[in-house]
Amino acid sequence: MARLVQELNRLPGIGPKSAQRLAYYIIRLPDDDAYALADAVTSVKQNIVFCEECQNLTDASPCQVCSDPRRDQTIVCVVEDPLDVLAMERTRTFRGLYHVLHGVISPINGIGPDQLKLKELFKRLERPEVVEMVVATNPTLEGEATAMYIHRHQGREGLKVTHLARGLPVGGSLEYSDETTLTRAFQGRQEI
Amino acid sequence: MAPPRTYRCEAIILGYTPLGEADLLVTMYTRDQGKVIAVGKGARRSTSKLVGHLEPLTMVRMSMAHGRSMDIISQAEVVQSFSVLKEDLLAITKGLYLAELVDGFGAEESPNPELFRLMIDTLRAVEDNSRSDMPLRFFEFHLLQVSGLMPELYHCVECREELEPDAHRFSPNVGGTLCLDCSPDDAHLRPLSLRALKVLRLLDRSEISKACKLSVNESLADELRSLLSTTVGYWLDKEIRSNSFLDRLNNESLPGVYT
Repeated sequence: MARLVQELNRLPGIGPKSAQRLAYYIIRLPDDDAYALADAVTSVKQNIVFCEECQNLTDASPCQVCSDPRRDQTIVCVVEDPLDVLAMERTRTFRGLYHVLHGVISPINGIGPDQLKLKELFKRLERPEVVEMVVATNPTLEGEATAMYIHRHQGREGLKVTHLARGLPVGGSLEYSDETTLTRAFQGRQEI
Repeated sequence: MAPPRTYRCEAIILGYTPLGEADLLVTMYTRDQGKVIAVGKGARRSTSKLVGHLEPLTMVRMSMAHGRSMDIISQAEVVQSFSVLKEDLLAITKGLYLAELVDGFGAEESPNPELFRLMIDTLRAVEDNSRSDMPLRFFEFHLLQVSGLMPELYHCVECREELEPDAHRFSPNVGGTLCLDCSPDDAHLRPLSLRALKVLRLLDRSEISKACKLSVNESLADELRSLLSTTVGYWLDKEIRSNSFLDRLNNESLPGVYT
């Protein structure tokens, strides 16, 4: 019991009290449900791998997106995390390929370029069929720093490098917007 | 009478970590309260009124509420965003190096307005000239000064004799410069050239604007970087993690500005 609490406590956002509550919940679960949970954890560790192309998490490499011939092979969208791929897919707007970095450059936390899937990205960009890279890191200081690093170090001449537009979110408010967001929103204004 | 539940402050954001579903745990250095770690409720939602105001290396005016365990950020308004600095990878990395040092040297509930002012002045100097390392050297030297750890530069720390204009030795462990006649058993002892001693004295006496105009050759720049960075690291007593990425960028010859 103490071991289970200790292991649950290591999960992000789970404190000692929540870990105890979850442990008691698991104890009270019917055997089949508890074993199914344990099996899911074991299976995910045994079967999930990095896609050899986009580095996203997948149970078969290359992943579904990379092996889909209907996807546009000429454009690669670079994102921080696997969850960003899901968010982009929900838009049904982007039909190209992805590349997942698994983090951002964070000097204060000791995370440099070597800890990210950047080597794999630069290798992919050497392929002549790739004509555009969309850098879709988050518009945070570390996300922007990562975008700058990628832009500086991608060695392909003539490759179009873009990043997502910056500006006001739907449901946001001018009054509470910071000056950088407002400036960029103004710079990216569009004709109605 | 109970102390007021809310307070206002000016702060420079040092960093943040995600907390729970949509909150941020924000570390900041304030002018009047020293280091403060506070919660930005819902600050990770794109429509939050706090979003964009809590980015690292941003000077903000805050309204805060005392919480049971941690303060809560109720409002934040950008005073200075250092937007030019944030368009240059090398300048951002230098800014994050400063933030890491302020986080390490700053203490909670221990205000140090000089440290706050030093951070703001140095960020402005980095913004004005991101290629020069002199703002960082000025910051490191004065960080020691405002933290009460100013190294001795005019007299030998052992024999108290006035230092002759010559090469000497330096150790953070004994508190500064040693003449060649004194030889304490000290693992941190290192040579100190006369040129480096002169630059340190100049940093001691100068305003940041004047110090940042100083141009030094590569070997002297390396000596100053190694000496001050080691001294700061000695007092911090832990690895300065942003140093390795900063060194990596400094060693690259590629252009630094993202356009």
